[in-house]
Amino acid sequence: MRVTVYLFSGRNVPLCRRLSSGDGVLAGLADADTIFALSSGHGRCGVAVVRISGPAATTALRCMVGLRKHLPPPRTALLRSITDPHSKEVLDRGLVLWFPAPHSFTGEDSVEFHIHGGPAVITAVLQALGSVPGMRPAEAGEFTRRAFHAGKLDLTEVEGLGDLIHAETEAQRRQALRQMSGDLGRLYQDWSHRLKRCLAHVEAFIDFSEDELIEDGVLDRVDISVCDLQAEINQHLKDERRGERLRSGVHVVIAGATNAGKSSLLNTLCQRPAAIVSPIAGTTRDVVETALDIGGFPVLLSDTAGLRDSPDLVEQEGVRRARERCLLVLNKTDLLPEAQREQLSLGLRGTSGLPPVCLISCQTSEGLKDFLTVCADPLSGAPTLTQARHRAHLQQCAAALAQYWRYRDSDLALAAEGVRLALTGLGRITGRVGAEEILDIIFKDFCIGK
Amino acid sequence: MSRMLTRKLLPVRNILPPVTKRASHVHRQRYDVIVVGGGHAGTEAAAAAARVGAETLLVTQKTHTIGALSCNPSLGGVGKGHLVREIDALDGLCGRAGDWAGIHFSILNRRKGPAVWGPRAQLDRQRYREFIQAELLSTPRLEVLEGSVEELLVTDPNPEEPGRHRVTGIRLANGSRPISASSVVLTTGTFLSGSLFVGHTVSPGGRIGDAPSSTGLSQTLRERLGLRVGRLRTGTPPRVLKDSVDLSLAKLHPPDSHPTPFSFMNTRTRCKPEEQLPCYLTYTTPGVERVVRESLHLNCHIQQDAKGPRYCPSIESRVLRFPGRRHQVWLEPEGMTSDLLYPQGLSMTMPPDVQLRLIREIPAMHRAEIHTPGYGVQYDYVCPTQLSPALQVKNTQGLFLAGQINGTTGYEEAAAQGLWAGVNAARWARSLPPAGLSRTESYIGVLIDDLVSRGVNEPYRMFTSRAEFRTSLRPDNADLRLTQKGSLLGCVSSARRDEFLRVKLRLQDAEAALRALTLSPAGWRKMMPGISVSESKNGTLSGMDLLQYKDVSFEMLASLFPEQLSPHIEFSERLKIEAVYKPHCDLSKREVERIQKEENMSLPQDLDYFSLPVSLSKEVREILDRFRPSTLGAATRLEGMTPAAVVNLLNYVQIAERKERMMNRSNAGQQEGRGEDLCARNASLPQ
Repeated sequence: MRVTVYLFSGRNVPLCRRLSSGDGVLAGLADADTIFALSSGHGRCGVAVVRISGPAATTALRCMVGLRKHLPPPRTALLRSITDPHSKEVLDRGLVLWFPAPHSFTGEDSVEFHIHGGPAVITAVLQALGSVPGMRPAEAGEFTRRAFHAGKLDLTEVEGLGDLIHAETEAQRRQALRQMSGDLGRLYQDWSHRLKRCLAHVEAFIDFSEDELIEDGVLDRVDISVCDLQAEINQHLKDERRGERLRSGVHVVIAGATNAGKSSLLNTLCQRPAAIVSPIAGTTRDVVETALDIGGFPVLLSDTAGLRDSPDLVEQEGVRRARERCLLVLNKTDLLPEAQREQLSLGLRGTSGLPPVCLISCQTSEGLKDFLTVCADPLSGAPTLTQARHRAHLQQCAAALAQYWRYRDSDLALAAEGVRLALTGLGRITGRVGAEEILDIIFKDFCIGK
Repeated sequence: MSRMLTRKLLPVRNILPPVTKRASHVHRQRYDVIVVGGGHAGTEAAAAAARVGAETLLVTQKTHTIGALSCNPSLGGVGKGHLVREIDALDGLCGRAGDWAGIHFSILNRRKGPAVWGPRAQLDRQRYREFIQAELLSTPRLEVLEGSVEELLVTDPNPEEPGRHRVTGIRLANGSRPISASSVVLTTGTFLSGSLFVGHTVSPGGRIGDAPSSTGLSQTLRERLGLRVGRLRTGTPPRVLKDSVDLSLAKLHPPDSHPTPFSFMNTRTRCKPEEQLPCYLTYTTPGVERVVRESLHLNCHIQQDAKGPRYCPSIESRVLRFPGRRHQVWLEPEGMTSDLLYPQGLSMTMPPDVQLRLIREIPAMHRAEIHTPGYGVQYDYVCPTQLSPALQVKNTQGLFLAGQINGTTGYEEAAAQGLWAGVNAARWARSLPPAGLSRTESYIGVLIDDLVSRGVNEPYRMFTSRAEFRTSLRPDNADLRLTQKGSLLGCVSSARRDEFLRVKLRLQDAEAALRALTLSPAGWRKMMPGISVSESKNGTLSGMDLLQYKDVSFEMLASLFPEQLSPHIEFSERLKIEAVYKPHCDLSKREVERIQKEENMSLPQDLDYFSLPVSLSKEVREILDRFRPSTLGAATRLEGMTPAAVVNLLNYVQIAERKERMMNRSNAGQQEGRGEDLCARNASLPQ
């Protein structure tokens, strides 16, 4: 137990995930929306499949694959450059397949892009798709649901649908919770809260001001609030750093004193002997890099030679910064007697100011499960706006707020509708807001006496 | 004038013919529908059932209080006015009664957009009652009986369908023979185990001056049928003598100079514009708050914990919740010739001498005299999640509930439920499938869906913010939304149907004429300088597009194109509203269609959710068992439902529906002639 293994979590690779909106469970039932999503698994893979289904699928095909005149022959793979419809920048070169209705998985016009599996490519393609009019990210299980409604699945297949959606929503729920506890979550919650108040105050003015004492200033305050919110959301949407974050991925460095078991940890995590391990201190001479998937997130793991004290000021600063974002792993617990181990873990728990600590043994795999859980947490934290779904809903939200101003003086019902739509858009990220909740705010803030 | 104020403008007989009949004088021993209660819910229910074709009997304690306004002398308002317009579109009574009895008309929210305009009127109590009574008496197939219902007759549960009772009729208090019926609609208002509160005094009853209803009814509902009931409270202010009030110290509040009728059938109101009476506005003072605080120990209604409305609170709860403020008090006329004023906002339950002290703290009433003191009422309501969307008690076939018994407050809310319960009671009696109203097409649908799928924990009142499709559910288009449906259900008179068809065609013509007028933006700019016309995508703009602009009215366009547009000037306001709102309604169309599809997938009411062989979590099973949603749509809106659970339910509905279809095929031949597409709520999945 002499050895400390640091895991440095670098920047995060946000993945475009499909999240259920929580409401509109059967959304898609009557929808003529065109939906898209990454249909292959998340995480790093060689080839990724992006599926598009709905009436605008051909539009996407035309404007992103450069097939202006003719659609490709049905159900035939073509190698094409996939471009951004607005900037015309080439995003990737991949296979394109066109499945006209009704001969497709969903029974609707469908298109598949088989592209390279890197997160940057995937996200770029998904974002490009999101910018095509009439397209939106699919809800959880929506492709399957559309297939179901088109009579493409038999009942036994449908049996599995509920479970599938359950699994997806369960994973998404956990992800949402994680996101919601972060800074971004707090930001969205704050917006949602302020929008709720705006809506409640407009609604109070509509439903009660003719008979009640609702001060005239109420709408002025809403004006200020809506104005601020609009500015903040638009600023957020303009976040320039997202591209950089996207491409950088999560870099994790295993650092620590020699012979602490850094390479053993690497091998345990990869489940293969990627690095040479031996009882001799200093076995690893070069940096060994391995890509793997922890908790669904692609991670580039680097095994290093042991941590050393460096006289170089720059390097010292680097080490200091790295230590701020680290996970403390104590290896070789199998060498400690039971009693001492418990004492240690109690002692660590009582010590404040420490980074998250894991007690593991690469030899016996003890504590590895907990380690992975703790590991996935800082990795998945701090989601960025590059979540295509968030972007789409925030854009809706911003557009809806513009409607408030358009009708502010001529038709308050339509202005309120704008705020309501904005809240619905945001609600798809933070959770639905019901009419009762708005009424609760009204009755808390105003004395309605009639 | 083909569209005069309708035939009802004939003077109401001053001395109403004797409507009272003893039980022995009832014409028949069996009716299709019996309605218990003669308030807003009961009268609409009885009239609707009779219109649909059912032999109907209305039983009430006192026939001369039929159509009485027990509380405020007004009808409509924001949200409530929407309900009145919809009730009228289905040929209900209250809209026309309001036009007959109104003495002060105004459209609230005039400056806030037509979707939230609130048609409202102060009423003459006497005229309102007269109209309703005359209307009921002239309704064919409808009889009225004075009596107190002692017992609701229900069968024991059918062993084949456990927990399913069937209603068979009623028995009156005087021990006479039972009167049987296929359907019974209970609209007992605040009379179900009602108690009246003034100061420390508590007495049984539902309204001052009326005998309490029998306890038998309440017992049957609770013990025999096992229905869950809750308790709510409400109150009414003291009535003040007009002469004793110094109105010069209050602010005059005039009516609209041109009264707008509630009814689609009326172009004018009985009351002439210049005959209208004003209201007055005044405010509470710190003295009012002092009196409330000093008398709290004498006020046992306010100390009870039954749930009262947050939006129609007594003056006691207003000053306790929002201390140190002044609160509005409206002084409203009670009638053309009445010598009373109704102080809206001063509902109170303290002892009468304290009530007098309190109102005299308000300057305009410093010498006021009270005619009748205010009082509080506490009453039982049946938790409405036990009802189907047809307002039928789920475990008792043929038993319908409407009004305050379902936990609502307000005349308009009661009337809306009454009408719908009446239509469905008649349909049940005639073995027709229940008729549904979606929340996507009406405020009545919103009201009923909120009640039966979410329940209430305080008296439920309609607000426009409850309607998610507010931009399409407007007061101006209630006829377009509902009259055709009402006509198919048989609850709309031929006169109304003809008028509706005329209006609908004329509106279509007018819209076509507007669309046919196309000009380039530059062309419009030349014709209408001062209007900033924006460029359009396809190069031209139609008259309909132009009408969306804030400063453009239909009259302006008609003066530019008199030949094409002047024939439609009658509909100028409706066309302007339609043009502005149409793009917004189109946006929500998809959401509307989705909800309607989900609402068309019904869930069997006797489903045992705990043993259902479907993958559902225990929590979800409990929620479903508790609320027993009638449709997949209602299930989706329940709090705590997961997407997975809804899909599993959907799957179940699909299998059940296939089985049923196969069984139907095997004993085919008897399903002919069911042209009831409109109302079918059977499981049907979009293919």
